[in-house]
Amino acid sequence: MTDITSHSTRGGGWAVTLLGWICILLGAIIFALGVWLIALGGSWYYGLAGAGLVVTGVLLNMRSMAAVWVFLLTWGGTVVWAFWEVGMDWWAQLPRLVAPTLILVLVLLCIPALARRR
Amino acid sequence: MSYRSVSMIALVATLAAPPAVLMAQDEPADDTTTEAPATDAAPDTDEVAPDAATEDAPAAEAVEPTEDAAEPLEEVVDDEEAPETEATETDAAESDAVTEDAPEADAATEDAPEAEDDAAPEAEEPAAAEAEEPAEDAAPEAEEPAAEMDSAPEAEDEPEAEDATEADASEEAATEDSTAEDADTAEAPEEADAAPDASMASVLPDVGADWPFYGGDAAATRFSPLDQITAENVGELEQAFVFRTGDMPSEAADGKYAAETTPLKLGNDLLLCSAKNILISIDGATGEENWRFDPGVPDEAIPYSASCRGVTAYTNPEAAEGDICATRVIEGTLDAKLVAVDAATGAPCEDFGENGTVDLWQDIGERVPGWYAVTAPPVVVNGVLITGAQVKDGQAEDAPSGVIRGYDVLTGEFQWAWDLANPDNSDGPAEGEVYTRGTPNMWTAAVGDEELDMVYLPMGNSSVDYYGSNRTEAENEFATSLVALNAATGEVEWSFQTVRHDVWDYDLGSQSTLIDYQGTPAIILPSKQGDIYILDRATGEPLTPVDEVEAPSLGEIEPDFISETQPVSAWHTLRMEPLEERDAWGFTPIDQLWCRIQFRRANYDGYLTPPSSDQPWIQYPGYNGGSDWGSVAVDPERGLIIANYNDVPNYNRLVPRDEVTSVPINEQQAGEGSAGAEGAADPQAGSPYGINVNAGWRNEYTGMPCVRPPYGGIRAIDIETGETVWDRPLGTARRNGPFGIPSYMPFNIGTPNNGGAVITAGGLVFIGAATDNLIRAIDIETGETVWSDVLPAGGQANPITYEIDGRQYVMIAATGHHFMETPIGDYMVAYALPE
Repeated sequence: MTDITSHSTRGGGWAVTLLGWICILLGAIIFALGVWLIALGGSWYYGLAGAGLVVTGVLLNMRSMAAVWVFLLTWGGTVVWAFWEVGMDWWAQLPRLVAPTLILVLVLLCIPALARRR
Repeated sequence: MSYRSVSMIALVATLAAPPAVLMAQDEPADDTTTEAPATDAAPDTDEVAPDAATEDAPAAEAVEPTEDAAEPLEEVVDDEEAPETEATETDAAESDAVTEDAPEADAATEDAPEAEDDAAPEAEEPAAAEAEEPAEDAAPEAEEPAAEMDSAPEAEDEPEAEDATEADASEEAATEDSTAEDADTAEAPEEADAAPDASMASVLPDVGADWPFYGGDAAATRFSPLDQITAENVGELEQAFVFRTGDMPSEAADGKYAAETTPLKLGNDLLLCSAKNILISIDGATGEENWRFDPGVPDEAIPYSASCRGVTAYTNPEAAEGDICATRVIEGTLDAKLVAVDAATGAPCEDFGENGTVDLWQDIGERVPGWYAVTAPPVVVNGVLITGAQVKDGQAEDAPSGVIRGYDVLTGEFQWAWDLANPDNSDGPAEGEVYTRGTPNMWTAAVGDEELDMVYLPMGNSSVDYYGSNRTEAENEFATSLVALNAATGEVEWSFQTVRHDVWDYDLGSQSTLIDYQGTPAIILPSKQGDIYILDRATGEPLTPVDEVEAPSLGEIEPDFISETQPVSAWHTLRMEPLEERDAWGFTPIDQLWCRIQFRRANYDGYLTPPSSDQPWIQYPGYNGGSDWGSVAVDPERGLIIANYNDVPNYNRLVPRDEVTSVPINEQQAGEGSAGAEGAADPQAGSPYGINVNAGWRNEYTGMPCVRPPYGGIRAIDIETGETVWDRPLGTARRNGPFGIPSYMPFNIGTPNNGGAVITAGGLVFIGAATDNLIRAIDIETGETVWSDVLPAGGQANPITYEIDGRQYVMIAATGHHFMETPIGDYMVAYALPE
C-alpha cells in the first residue's frame, strides 16, 4: 500500500518535474525571443509571458502550489491580450490560445501532486 | 521540388504539419519563386510527395462560421431570365449557320501555294509578305482581305445592337460584345459571303454549347449562357467521365509540372493541350480520345513549370467543311514553337510554317532551353495570330527579348513584331541582329478585339525584376502595362501602366476582359496588386477613378529609381490593409513570435515598400496576386465581376553580388536546371544584386505561413458601382491537419488559389483553384458553396462549361501545381446532371 502510494507519488512527481522543465525550457525560449522582440520595438507580451512560464516551471520543480497561481495569471493575461489583439478571429487565436491552454490543463493536473507534497 | 517541409523542428513540427498551402504562386513567370522553395527547403528534407505537403495545420480549432457549409444552406433561386434562354438558342442557330457557311470557299486551292511558300526559309520574312500587310494582314488569302474589312462595318453595327440590348434589359448591357456579335453572327448567314459584311466575325463562334475561346467567348468573359445546372439541382451533379492525358512528369521533370490547362469545346470535341504540349481531341460527351499530336517537347525546355494554359482554334472562312485544317488548333509550346494541327484529325497543317510549325526562337538569340517558352494560348485577331512568350525570371539582364509577334494564322508567315525598345525591328531585326534583349514580356493570354482591330497585351516586367536603374526609357514606359497594339501592324495604340518602375515582379498576369461599360467599349484590367481598372478600349483612358498615392521610400538600393507616386484603382481593389505585427501567425506562440521578430526586422512600410539588401523587405501583396492568370469572370447579365484572389505576402531580400552563388540558366550545365529551382537565389546576372524570395513568407523552420489566414478568397463586385456584393475565403482545411494528416474538415480557411472561375446563366460560379483539391459551385447571388466534389489532383486550372445533345457539362483539369503543392495528375474531369 505504502509502496504503491509512494510509487504513484513518485510517478506524479516525475511528471511534475518533466512539466516543470518543459515550462522552463519553453519559457526561456519565449522570454529570450520576447526580449529580442521588445528590443525591435514589438509587443511586450512574449517577454512577460515567457517570464511567467519560467517562474511557473521553477515553482513546479519546487513543488509549490504557487506555480498554479502564477500560471493562471499568465494564462489569464494571455487571454486578455489575445482578445485585445485579434478579437474573435479564431484562426488568429490559434497560436495565441491553444498551446497556453494546453499547458494550463497540464498545470492544473499537477494540483493533486502539489497538494500531496505539501 | 515541392518544398515541403516535412521534417521540421521537432516541437513545432509536431504542430505544424502543413504549411505548404501558403504560397500561392502562380505563375511561372515568377520564377523567382523558384527560390522560395529553397528557403523552405533548407531546413527540411524535401519530400516529393506533394500531397502531404499541403496540409495545413490549422486543425481543429478554428471554425469559420460562415463558410463551412458545403451543403446548400440557402438555395437561392437564381433568376431565370428569359434573355438567357434566348441567348442559348441563338447560339445554336449560329453555330449551324456557321457550319453552313463554310462550304463555300474552296480554300484548298489557295492553301497549296501557301504551303510552298512556307517551305521556304522563314528566316527573313519575304518582302512580299510585308508588302501585303498593309493590304490587310491576311494578305496571302485572296479573299481574306474582304473578310477583314467586315470588321469595320460590324463595328458600326454594333453600337446599335448594344443600344437595343441595353434598352431592353439594362443588365444585359454588358453583354454587349457577345450580344452584338451574336447579332452579327446571326445575320451573317443570310448575307452570306456575298456582301463584304459577311464578316469574319461570323466565323467567330459564340460561347454556349461551345467554349470556343480560352476565355469562353472572344471577349474573355468566362460567362456561359447555359442554364441547365442551377443552384437547385447542382447537388445532383455527378462525374460524367474522366479522361487522362497520360502526360505525367518524368523523373527529370518531377516538381516542375503545373499544366493549368483550359480546354476548348467545338462541336462534339474538346480540344486541349497537356502539360508538355501534347495536343489532344476527346469526345465531349464520352471522354473518348479522337486523336493526339505530340510535338515532342523535351524536359529541358520546361521553364519554371510545364504549363500549357490553353489552345486557340481558328476556322478558315475560305475553307470547305471537310478540308484539312478548315478548323485548326494552334498552340505555343514550351520549346517556343507555334504548332497548328487539323481540329478534325490532328494532322499537322502543312500550309502553316514548316509542316505545321513556326519556330519562335527565330531572331531571339542563343537557344537556351527553358529560358524562352510559350505557356499561354496565342490570340487571333482578324487573321493575325499573335503571341508573346514567357521569359524565365531572375536569370540575367541579358535575357531573351519580350518581343510580341504577329503571324498569318493560315500560313504562319511572319507579319510584324513589336519590339518595344526598337521600332525599327517591326519587320524583324537586321541580319545577324536579335530583338532587344531583356525587355518586358507577355507570358499570359492576350485578348483580341476584331472590331477595333486591336490586341490587348498584359505585359510583365523587364528582366531583371527586382532592380531597375539600368532599364531603358522604353522599358520603363511599357513594363507592367496593358498595351493595345494595332493587330494588323503591331503599332502601339495606347498603354496603361499599373506600377511605375516596377521592382516587385508585378507582371500583369490576368487576361483582360472586354465589356461594354456604361455604353463605352471597355476593357477590365485586373492586376496582381489587386487593383481592378476599367479602361476605354479605344483610347486606354480610365473610365473608373484612378488615384495617385505616395509610395514608401524606405529602401536605399536605388532611391532615384523608385517612383515617388503610384497609381491605384479608386474604383475597386482586392488589396487588403497593410500588415501589422499582430498579423504574424504560426501554430504555437513560439513560431508566431519568430514571425513577429521577422516582421520587425524587415523593411516594411506598406504597399510597394522598395527592395532592400541590408534587411529583408516585405512585399504585400506578393507576386501571386491579387488576380493572376486565372483572371476574373464577368457576368454581363447580372452586372457582376467574380474575382478570386490571393492574399499572401512575400519576404524578400536583395542578395549582394558577391554572395550570389547561383548562375543564370544560360551558364548552367545540362541537368543543372531543375536543381537550380532549389537554389538559394536567382542570380539576376548583370545587376548588382541577386534576389531571394520567400514566396508566401513561410517560417523557415516550420514551413508554416508567417501571417494569419485567409490566404485567398473570392468576391463578387458590382460593375456599376464597384462595390463588393459578397466576399468569402476560398479553400477549405480538408487537406490540412497535424502531422500532415488530412483533417477532412470543411472549415473554409481560405487557401492560396490559382486558376479562375466560370459563371453560368444558371446562376453558378464553378471554381477549383484552391489547394483543397475541390471543385465547387458557388451561388452567385449569395456566395455560398452549394456543391463540391473532390478532384483526383489539384484543380489549378480554369474550368469550362459546354453542352452536347442538350446536356450541360462542367469540366476542369485536375492536373495539380508544383508550386501550390497539390498532387500532380493528368485528369480531365467532366460533370453533368444525371441523364
